[in-house]
Amino acid sequence: MKSLIAFAFAAALSGVLPLHAARAQDNAPIMIASTLPLSGNVASFGEMARWGAELAVAQVNAAGGIRGRKVQFDVQDNRCNPAEAVKVTTQMLSDPAYVALFDGLCSSVVLSVMPVVERERIPLVVATASATSISDKSGVGGNPWTFKFNPSDATLAVAMVDWLKKQGLADKIAFLGEDTDFGRSGASGFETALKAGGGKLAAADFYQQGTADFSAVLTKLRSMQPSVLALYALAGDQRNIVSQFMTSGLKMPLTGRLITDVIPAEIIKSGAIDGSTSVQPYSFEIDTPENKAFVAAFKAAHGREPNAIAYSAYDAMRTLLDAIARAPSVDRTAVRDALKATRMQSLIGGEIVFDENNLAHNYAVILQIKDGKVSIVGLSKT
Amino acid sequence: MDTAFALQLLVNGLMIGAVYALIASGLSLTFGVIGIVNFAHGELYMVFAMLAYFVAGYLETPFSLSIALVMLTALCVGAVLYEVLLRRLAGKDFERSVLGTMGLAMVLQNGAIFLFTTTPRMVPHTLSYSAYTFGSVAVPALKLLAAALATAALGLVWWMLHHTQLGRAMRGLAQSHDAAMMVGIDVRAVSRLAVAIGVGLAGLAGAALAPVYSIHPTMGFAFIFKAFAIVTIGGLGNFGGTIIAALMIGMLESFAGTLGSLVMADTLSFAFMILILLFKPEGLFGRGVRI
Repeated sequence: MKSLIAFAFAAALSGVLPLHAARAQDNAPIMIASTLPLSGNVASFGEMARWGAELAVAQVNAAGGIRGRKVQFDVQDNRCNPAEAVKVTTQMLSDPAYVALFDGLCSSVVLSVMPVVERERIPLVVATASATSISDKSGVGGNPWTFKFNPSDATLAVAMVDWLKKQGLADKIAFLGEDTDFGRSGASGFETALKAGGGKLAAADFYQQGTADFSAVLTKLRSMQPSVLALYALAGDQRNIVSQFMTSGLKMPLTGRLITDVIPAEIIKSGAIDGSTSVQPYSFEIDTPENKAFVAAFKAAHGREPNAIAYSAYDAMRTLLDAIARAPSVDRTAVRDALKATRMQSLIGGEIVFDENNLAHNYAVILQIKDGKVSIVGLSKT
Repeated sequence: MDTAFALQLLVNGLMIGAVYALIASGLSLTFGVIGIVNFAHGELYMVFAMLAYFVAGYLETPFSLSIALVMLTALCVGAVLYEVLLRRLAGKDFERSVLGTMGLAMVLQNGAIFLFTTTPRMVPHTLSYSAYTFGSVAVPALKLLAAALATAALGLVWWMLHHTQLGRAMRGLAQSHDAAMMVGIDVRAVSRLAVAIGVGLAGLAGAALAPVYSIHPTMGFAFIFKAFAIVTIGGLGNFGGTIIAALMIGMLESFAGTLGSLVMADTLSFAFMILILLFKPEGLFGRGVRI
């Protein structure tokens, strides 16, 4: 009798426990891994990317999650350092619960983790890194797991050069960028776009991130007198370059990836860099109802308007969450296939469809500083 | 190359060199007297630049008063730093001092990120975007002011080292710790003052350059390795040698960065240091005549 009871108990347990485990699995959060620069020179950008992605996740969770499951977004610091990023990503992806990897922010970081995601067979959604080589190596380029949401430097450069040509400023462009994949991609993007019209860069110079003094290169530019100076510099570096540009005697307009909220407001207001242009994936002033709702939600959460990085992270995370919701399961391959089939509206009006290189072709925004104010002068499909 | 262009490169080099001299000389003085390479020196420069931002930018204290306040604070911080940390590391294994000061650098940098965030800032000043022009040579006004302050401060320290009892005590201590004790020099007090002056120079650099370069938590990192290269080239602990090496590196960067590229300028500075280490390991001006 005792053995019969024990058998019945064991049988009950063997039936109930897997059921319980399956229910626990059903309720477990859908996990997304990410590494961002949370310390180092570009940590302020990492923070914006994190805020943008977290807002998209929070909104989905507030609406009940995906198939009743909450989304969990785990971020670790990559310090914008490729070696650190590979180490941290490998550690995170050793947990099979992660269904996707999100961004990395720095182009060098993304390029270094692309082989890792291919090995681990997990989809990677690139929100902010802009190096052209990322999409060149994705999709038919070889890595089927990497999807790039934001425009590449090459597509942004083409949009910018087209604009400069219309303004008659493309005849003698000098380039100054950081010595990273971001800066190098920017230079090759400009070079390629100019070559299409038979032109070329008048000069290209690069610097190490964190360089404080730019007097040497600005003196060189003074002797060359280019028609426009294209900058591919981030955060404190861009602030240093523009401040020192003001005291160098240079008078030409600036262009490239000029980040207007990094430049001291008094410089913009003074009118000294009037005529300067910038090509960006975003402006918070874009007048669509979806963008206005995003700006309001972001401002309520962080007390400031989102920049291009926060926007890209937000909209790219929306794209990823949409794919997870459409996928028949949270299996990594199913999510990748759902990403490939994406067809959704971006906040700024473009349609998100990934091409054969897994690159989306959202709008690029051309900004211009005029009369001491920054305004949108055009949207251009990338 | 025309004369005006060459003159502009010369002026740029002198300006960069003066900035490097101000930052590196504090490192040199500290090493000369207590034998410790303070790897937190760059982060101290960053902390004082942030303090200058708070005092001048946030509290709107006049710029000249902010410089004085920050420098005074830096002198006090230097004295406390010596008593709390450096005194306990001095004379011990070299590795302990490297790890101790690097640890302090990490604490300061990450503490600054936590408190200050990584958003770059700059102290506003009416002369921020002004330059004096002499013919076709342009000199940024605030860089000129920083270079003038650097010259005055370094001149004062030089005079103190060579013409005061305290300076003689520091030089004596630098030559022989034991002999200095035998002749009655108060090693602890003199060392404390040397570190205070070294950190004070970092404070002056932080405050004077706050309206010139953008302020962010990793700004010290770019300078500390350059400063270390300069101190090595000049002769570890050799105060005068450090100043001359700083001017040489400033010139090298100005000419190489203009005629070549900025990346090449950085490479050449460190290549120069490697050459010195290979062929004149005691530095261009030697350790025998330090401070």
